[in-house]
Amino acid sequence: MKQTLMGNDAIAWGLIHANVDMVSGYPGTPSSEILTVVQQIKHKLNLNVYAEWGTNEKVGFEVAYAGAIAGKRTCATMKQVGLNVASDALMSAAYIGNLGGMLLIAADDPGFHSSQTEQDSRVFAKFARIPVLDPATPQDAYDLTKYGVELSEKFQIPVMLRPVMRVCHAREIIEMDEETNFKPNIGEFKRDVPRWGAVPRKDRFPQGKEQLNRIEVIKEYNWDNLLKSEFDKCEGKNRVLVITSGTGYGFTKETLSDLDLEADVVKVLMPYPLPVEQMRDRFKSYDKVLVVEEPYPCVEEQIASPNVYGKNTNSIHQIDEMSKEEILKAFQNIGFYEGENIYATPPSLDFEVEARPPALCPGCPHRDVYYAITKVFKKKKSIYPSDIGCYTLALAQGAIDSILCMGASVSMASGFSISDPDKTVVATIGDGTFFHSGIAPLINAVYQNHKFILVILDNSTIAMTGRQTTPSRANKDIDIKKIVEGMGIECMEHHYSYEMQDNIDFFREVKKVHADATGPTVVVVREFCILDRERAPEFIPNIFAKVDPELCIACDQCTTIYKCPPMAYNDDGVIEIDPFLCAGCGGCLDVVCPTDAFVQDFDYLKRGN
Amino acid sequence: MKYQIVIAGFGGQGVVFLVKVLAICAGNRNIAFLGTENHGMSQRGGSVSCDIKIGEFTNPVIDKNQADLMIALEKNEGLRNLAFLKLSGTLVTNAKDKDKYPELPFSGFAKIDAFKKAERGEFPIQGLNVYMLGFALVNDKNFPFSVQEVKDAITSMNAKVAEQNIVILDQAMRDAKESK
Ligand SMILES: Cc1ncc(C[n+]2csc(CCOP(=O)(O)OP(=O)(O)O)c2C)c(N)n1
Ligand code: SF4
Ligand code: SF4
Repeated sequence: MKQTLMGNDAIAWGLIHANVDMVSGYPGTPSSEILTVVQQIKHKLNLNVYAEWGTNEKVGFEVAYAGAIAGKRTCATMKQVGLNVASDALMSAAYIGNLGGMLLIAADDPGFHSSQTEQDSRVFAKFARIPVLDPATPQDAYDLTKYGVELSEKFQIPVMLRPVMRVCHAREIIEMDEETNFKPNIGEFKRDVPRWGAVPRKDRFPQGKEQLNRIEVIKEYNWDNLLKSEFDKCEGKNRVLVITSGTGYGFTKETLSDLDLEADVVKVLMPYPLPVEQMRDRFKSYDKVLVVEEPYPCVEEQIASPNVYGKNTNSIHQIDEMSKEEILKAFQNIGFYEGENIYATPPSLDFEVEARPPALCPGCPHRDVYYAITKVFKKKKSIYPSDIGCYTLALAQGAIDSILCMGASVSMASGFSISDPDKTVVATIGDGTFFHSGIAPLINAVYQNHKFILVILDNSTIAMTGRQTTPSRANKDIDIKKIVEGMGIECMEHHYSYEMQDNIDFFREVKKVHADATGPTVVVVREFCILDRERAPEFIPNIFAKVDPELCIACDQCTTIYKCPPMAYNDDGVIEIDPFLCAGCGGCLDVVCPTDAFVQDFDYLKRGN
Repeated sequence: MKYQIVIAGFGGQGVVFLVKVLAICAGNRNIAFLGTENHGMSQRGGSVSCDIKIGEFTNPVIDKNQADLMIALEKNEGLRNLAFLKLSGTLVTNAKDKDKYPELPFSGFAKIDAFKKAERGEFPIQGLNVYMLGFALVNDKNFPFSVQEVKDAITSMNAKVAEQNIVILDQAMRDAKESK
């Protein structure tokens, strides 16, 4: 059956068509839609599938892994940095293995489009010694999802699928199974203590030996089933061979055709483990072998030989995502192409255009809370560690000093409070991130009496990645305030108010409490996300703003510190509110403007906006 | 047929919607295509550009100097992405009349102040994407799909808002012909 699908949709269908009946994981771009689409298919076709988010990637992985031990077919999904969080579990699972198939999906983001790092999950698979599959297109993603589940069951080891953003978010017509005959698996845990409860060194050492053997067997399997036929197709054209992994294939094919060049191209579907000896043997027929892969030299390092060129020989770009221009340059570098750069554009087309970075939505409560924090805790005397989520965009308000990885705001607040005790440390973290990895470091801060302020921005959703449900909002009302109180400390609570003075007054109170405190002062601010259709309407006051041009003195306060997107200078040099963008939150009417130039636009709704 | 289209805009303008419409057009005619979309960070009002390559392609990204058509939903977003358009290609852009616009070397060029039309209430701003698609249909003489194919795709995407979207599309095409 032909179907137009995005890569992540294709993976979700692949899981269903492989009879995977347990999917867990944690959201993160570019992986998030996979689990959501499985949930949609489940509801549409009324399938007996567990498809739910975990509190973080480690939890998500372990839930799925236990399912696979008990004979279910399972999947854990996450973005590449999520795998760092799940890696402790993965490293051991790679020794112990599983009975039912388990597919670990780690979606990479070459080019740092929405990620803190450009790390390569294929290298992680190699580190853990599990096989990894690298799709080039959504069609590959569908096929390799099914293949990976089978492979995992065959070799009794988790198998990784590593799609990059340009696969997850690519769209094409997919050929998929005609019908969905979903057969859930029967889960039955079979006690096998030496295996599932393997202890060092007695049980783990033999498992380590098995792991090494298994990798050798899978190498042969890779050659016999995937690679040999690819090499057999080669004709030795121009004595140049291009070895590609994932998207490298599609980019290479197009570059060759754009440049009217001929070379053999091998598509590596399983970039680890590679049958290195067999491959090197085939390299003998070529003068040059170029490796095209992203983002790290995973294949290249395994097959290194004197005639192999790639990132480590400085023949192709080492950072940033794939482009045909980079491949063209690599062809030039290895002396395969001498023509012009057809991807270069005339310099006359380079216009200086003002950057348009992402910003907090108009009406987002995070903006007002940060505004109040910076009003009360002055920059010179404060340090503002923050975390990962929509609120990270408050960087633009000068309200954030550091970002590391999820949960780090709390432990870094500890570190800053010890190392620079003269400043007030005001850390901010979202509710999603607090549940993910903020609790353990807060316990540490209470344990060690670290004196700082932690502001938990509770908008009851994981907004940044598409508003997935937070743990507090599903089955039980898991209350952040009670979690904090359970640590034996007070948790101050504030309901975000569109009247800015209320927020400022609250933080003044926080400042007083902190002055007398000996340990952490924790605050939860109850907010909402303006895009949250269920909750937002309850809270938005529908107070739309306009500017009184007589009052605006063009002082830049609103465009540099408050920064709501509808605010911009008009031709007369005064601020104007873009009526298409104003969300009616009323946040700017109070305090934000020194001359109170923002006034309510009573006619806003009447004008049919 | 091979036709490469860049759609440039910013978060909230419905750039991805247009990719989906064009994908359905291609799918309905059983022509292969590959597109790539922006999700995540880029959604919070930041720059968004999506590519769709119609015909036999093996990667979804449009490289520099390759696109046949660029539909820019806002002036600066168009200018930011000019490098992807080939000189023989066509640029259709939304740009405010009062803003200065540079001389550009492309074979096809058309510009309209769609913001002004929306401000005057001629169409709802949420339909800007569809409006610019209609504008492109008239101004790109090589546009790969017919008006009817585009309308069918819009209808199959979301029947509820299809009627309104088709009204916007028709109006954009009338405006485009008038301004020619
Ligand atoms: C380890 C890891 N997993 C996932 C992500 C992707 N991610 C970015 S922000 C975010 C969560 C944000 O939620 P929350 O803290 O509630 O803030 P909000 O966006 O709602 O303001 C996630 C999951 C990541 N960056 N790192
Ligand atoms: S999506 Fe929600 S939390 Fe994120 S910036 Fe917009 S309103 Fe704020
Ligand atoms: S009322 Fe003011 S702060 Fe709120 S969305 Fe409109 S312009 Fe922004």
